Amino acid sequence: MKSLKEVLNNKDFGLFYGNRILLPFAAEILKAVIERDIIMDFSTSDKGANYTIFNDYTEIYFYDYKNLLDVVSKYEMIKLVVVEKGKNIFDLSNHKKISLHLVENHKLTIEELNDDSLFIE
Amino acid sequence: MFKKISSLLVVIFFFSISNDLHASEGSQVVLTLPNPLMVIPFVLLLLMIATGPLFYHQFWERSYPKIAIALGLITVFYYLFGLNDSHSLIHTAHEYVSFIALLTSLFVATGGILIKVDRKATPMLNVIILLFGSVIANIIGTTGASMLLIRPYIKINKNRVKPYHIIFFIFSISNIGGALTPIGDPPLFLGFLRGVDFFWFFGHVWYAWLPTLLLLVSIFYFIDTRNKNGEDPDTEYSGKIEFKGLKSIWYLLIILVSVFIDPGIMSWVPSLAPLPIGIREIIMFSVAYLSYKTAEIDVLKANEFNFDPIKEVAYLFVGIFATMIPALQLISYEANVYGQQLNPGIFYWATGSLSAFLDNAPTFLNFLSASLGKYGYDVAVKTQVHDFSIAHPVYLQAISIAAVFFGAMTYIGNGPNFMVKSICERAGINMPSFFGYLIKYAIPILLPIFTIVWLVLYYGKV
Repeated sequence: MKSLKEVLNNKDFGLFYGNRILLPFAAEILKAVIERDIIMDFSTSDKGANYTIFNDYTEIYFYDYKNLLDVVSKYEMIKLVVVEKGKNIFDLSNHKKISLHLVENHKLTIEELNDDSLFIE
Repeated sequence: MFKKISSLLVVIFFFSISNDLHASEGSQVVLTLPNPLMVIPFVLLLLMIATGPLFYHQFWERSYPKIAIALGLITVFYYLFGLNDSHSLIHTAHEYVSFIALLTSLFVATGGILIKVDRKATPMLNVIILLFGSVIANIIGTTGASMLLIRPYIKINKNRVKPYHIIFFIFSISNIGGALTPIGDPPLFLGFLRGVDFFWFFGHVWYAWLPTLLLLVSIFYFIDTRNKNGEDPDTEYSGKIEFKGLKSIWYLLIILVSVFIDPGIMSWVPSLAPLPIGIREIIMFSVAYLSYKTAEIDVLKANEFNFDPIKEVAYLFVGIFATMIPALQLISYEANVYGQQLNPGIFYWATGSLSAFLDNAPTFLNFLSASLGKYGYDVAVKTQVHDFSIAHPVYLQAISIAAVFFGAMTYIGNGPNFMVKSICERAGINMPSFFGYLIKYAIPILLPIFTIVWLVLYYGKV
């Protein structure tokens, strides 16, 4: 299993298919912002968003969208607050803000959000 | 289907041009009063703009371009085939193109600028930003100033940001601030296009603008001093203010200068009539194209730039501009009949209450038309609008102040309100709902201030 740090350093891709996202690391998702939707309730499996943590990856479904490509344009991004699996979720320094950009061939670039980007946890 | 509708619009447009040319060759244009039922598409569209994003969001997001164009087409067909009046359509088309050219160019140019401020968030710094933004809103528009400053404003306050920060930003920079020049807010630009002098607004509005803003930021300061969130004494700040994408400032200057490039202002400027576009609009669209093509990718990325907000405004307003033609002509006529009963206070509250819930640009035009009608002037004749602004300034002042100020009462009162809300939500800030904004913030804070403005300036005036 790759750590988030390794994924960011190696610039590893994630994947997206329609409204499904696959991240190449295992993590809890605390908050997601896609377009104007702020999602913090991941408890249901048919509304908003829902995620599952596997050993090697994390899978997220955004139920309100059929195809993410229709709503996330060239300079837009999906923003997440994540905590890597195994790390203390109550330690705020473990809360990482990342951005996801949709590129061609179902690839998803993953970057740590810098100071230029707006994202309030 | 949608492409077919767009093609039909283009055909109708050229048909109306040829009709207009034909009419202007031989005879004088005579306007016939429209059927009052033709106001229904306008009312329907404005109601849908107010309720769509709230109650049938997904349908509205998918369908608003088609709805706006379809309702607009009803009016266009009525004028072409029912009234045989293409003059009103051409006139409105020109006004729409001018309006959308200004908004688009400001929106795109400011999207290429990024401001980074590394300073500690304090209530006083926030007050300075709100006042600074309110001043520059008169130079680059409330849209431009809002887009330029909302991101640095959120970043400065990132550890303590609350909805009230954003709401006071909307009150001041996105609305009230831009009451001094035609570039400030779309209603005033429409007034300028109709014949009001560029500096008329500054001369007649500043003494309402300044105390209103000072009162507003004083309330903000009082609230903000009680917010002790996120204060970390160990954080060090360099105090630096950094700009990226400075060449876009030049583009903004070109847009500002181009506002004056109008055959009515500079006689050497060629008119492209009957085409609904002028040299000014060509310059503005060119600047928008150039500023987008030459913008730094990093800045566009950091600003999460996309054309959705301006596309939304362009589609909605093509419907608004078309459907409001009968409403404008009817109000102008009615005001001629009932003119003596209308005083500046009535114009202030009527313009204000409609600007709060409907869009303030067409509302301004409706009441400008009504006040002109009271004295027998025609809103479609530039020289008459100009004469009216000199002879009866109190009416134009009341309408201008109300249209701009009351735009802050709801998210739908002015274009930038929704844009700012959208940026904040994309940044992860939970904004109040439509009614939360109205009941918790706008009514308790703005309404008393606007009542004071009325008491001081218009109460008892005939």
